[in-house]
Amino acid sequence: MANVSRRAWFTTLVKGIGAGIIVGRGGATREVAQQAEAAEAIGPLTVRVTRPFDAETPVREFTSRLTPNERFFVRSHFGPPPAETVQPDAWRLTVKGLVKEGLSLTLKELQQFEPVSLTAVLQCSGNGRAHHRPKVPGVQWERGAVGNAQWTGVRLRDVLARAGIKPQGLHVQFQGADRPALPTVPLFTRSIPVAKALHPDTLLAYEMNGRPLPLLHGAPLRVITPGWMAESCMKWLTEIMVRADETPGYYMQQAYRMPETSIQPGSGLPGSVMVPVEEMAVKSLIASPGEGDTLQTGPVTIRGVAWGGESSVAKVDVSCDDGKTWEQARLLGEEQPYAWRQWQYLWNSRRVGPTAILCRATDTRGDQQPPTSPWNPGGFLWSGWDRLTVTVAA
Amino acid sequence: MSMPQRVSSLILATVLCTTVGLVVITAAQEEDRASLSPAQARRAATLIMARCAVCHTTDLISQQRLPADRWTVTVEKMVHWGAELSKDDTALVLRYLIIRNHPGAPDDLPTIEQELAMSEPTPNQSVAASDGPLTGLPARGAGLYAHNCQACHGEGAAGGVGPTLARNLILKNEGAFWETVLHGRGPMPAWGAVLSHQDIADIHAWLATR
Repeated sequence: MANVSRRAWFTTLVKGIGAGIIVGRGGATREVAQQAEAAEAIGPLTVRVTRPFDAETPVREFTSRLTPNERFFVRSHFGPPPAETVQPDAWRLTVKGLVKEGLSLTLKELQQFEPVSLTAVLQCSGNGRAHHRPKVPGVQWERGAVGNAQWTGVRLRDVLARAGIKPQGLHVQFQGADRPALPTVPLFTRSIPVAKALHPDTLLAYEMNGRPLPLLHGAPLRVITPGWMAESCMKWLTEIMVRADETPGYYMQQAYRMPETSIQPGSGLPGSVMVPVEEMAVKSLIASPGEGDTLQTGPVTIRGVAWGGESSVAKVDVSCDDGKTWEQARLLGEEQPYAWRQWQYLWNSRRVGPTAILCRATDTRGDQQPPTSPWNPGGFLWSGWDRLTVTVAA
Repeated sequence: MSMPQRVSSLILATVLCTTVGLVVITAAQEEDRASLSPAQARRAATLIMARCAVCHTTDLISQQRLPADRWTVTVEKMVHWGAELSKDDTALVLRYLIIRNHPGAPDDLPTIEQELAMSEPTPNQSVAASDGPLTGLPARGAGLYAHNCQACHGEGAAGGVGPTLARNLILKNEGAFWETVLHGRGPMPAWGAVLSHQDIADIHAWLATR
């Protein structure tokens, strides 16, 4: 591998992640942010881990329906691969395993399949992990490891149809080009059941919000499994393998699994059966006002978003008195499968002093956000009521 | 440092962990958990910067607030995945984390880098010259390089997330080389607690052959 380009990749990465980074208690983080302020615009993001780069979107950004690429949360286990390995000239998508005919496709060849666009929420399974009590290990995401983007690509099932899945093929495995610093660390390899892989809305996406997929988001190609959590949405995709069983290895068999039935908070790794994290839970967030804001008495528009994974949002309730009373918010625009729905509630604030504003969504299946999510040792799928404190001034 | 005080509440809450695999905690070590001397804390922080930061920055560690059993499982997993820590070093790092990043620890702990900067360096951390001339052994240096430097500086010193070291001008400026290795520079952690002066001389000798 050429030294110069690897270094160039690092420089690009540092520049890319640096500009506009806010928060970050770490001196190093702040330093990176300062150094890179003049670099290309990205952010503002709240950095959780400097390397590999993990950063979340401040929730105030969620007043817009689509989350811009440069403000979209970033998460990976090993950071992006060197840029030149995912350049169109060097990059290939291999399809192998339990298929009648193996494939090796260039990006151009892949783009000959019928293009499809859809808008879908992408959310890290650990989003909200910081809210779990007792605390659990992992990146301490708060509210913003989620975003809503338009994805353009081709149907995974069209590509799999070209290869021809053999009858024994029940799982579809994804491998990206990212690699750990040490060869002793297991690769991030994931699989999804063939039913989800063959769903007409499961995509191999090469565009995000109408632009080529950025490197931090999986260039040149990533999986999008609408309604499912983001660990299924493999970035920097290079290999698809059809297999009879679920992918072995740490990131499928140990990480990203949940107890099938609820367990005692704080208990160790449970004896109960652990199942893969898959679908999102119904959830909502307050984008405005912001935590700690001071408001004037009188009308205040509370704005937010809500989504339901594979189901649709039926209603969003808002409480402006710390959960004593709830009122229904107004859902904006049209329902679109997998996308989040914006909502508004006009609050006439009269009582001076601090108060908590809460929201909770209910989906068309009748599932409602609980006050807090069931504790689980990985801290996955937090979907408790969103809550913030504001002060009403006279 | 307020570490010993912080610990008393932790100890009450600490579940005695019966450990498996590489992290074996004896009764004596269990008693010892109540405190770390400043030198031990400093060494643990340096080990974390050298060994853990190969794969991830220490901000990932600083944000955790975990009970002893979960720290044990986590550190054990990292050693299993290749974190270059001896048994003793593993036990020290684990104690440091259990004492420092327990569930009741405040939200605004200083970063590990800040703690290191605030603590007194140990006396033997001065530049190599104080030890008299050392003869580096390139063959030994090759192995040390592979274990300690390669993850960032690449196979054959050809560069990675860290700069290319083969034919790098810093090899000709021994003062700067030793200063950087012992005390770190920018994103590069300090290696003074991990590599002996002979180790550094050996790595330098091997790099000079590249």
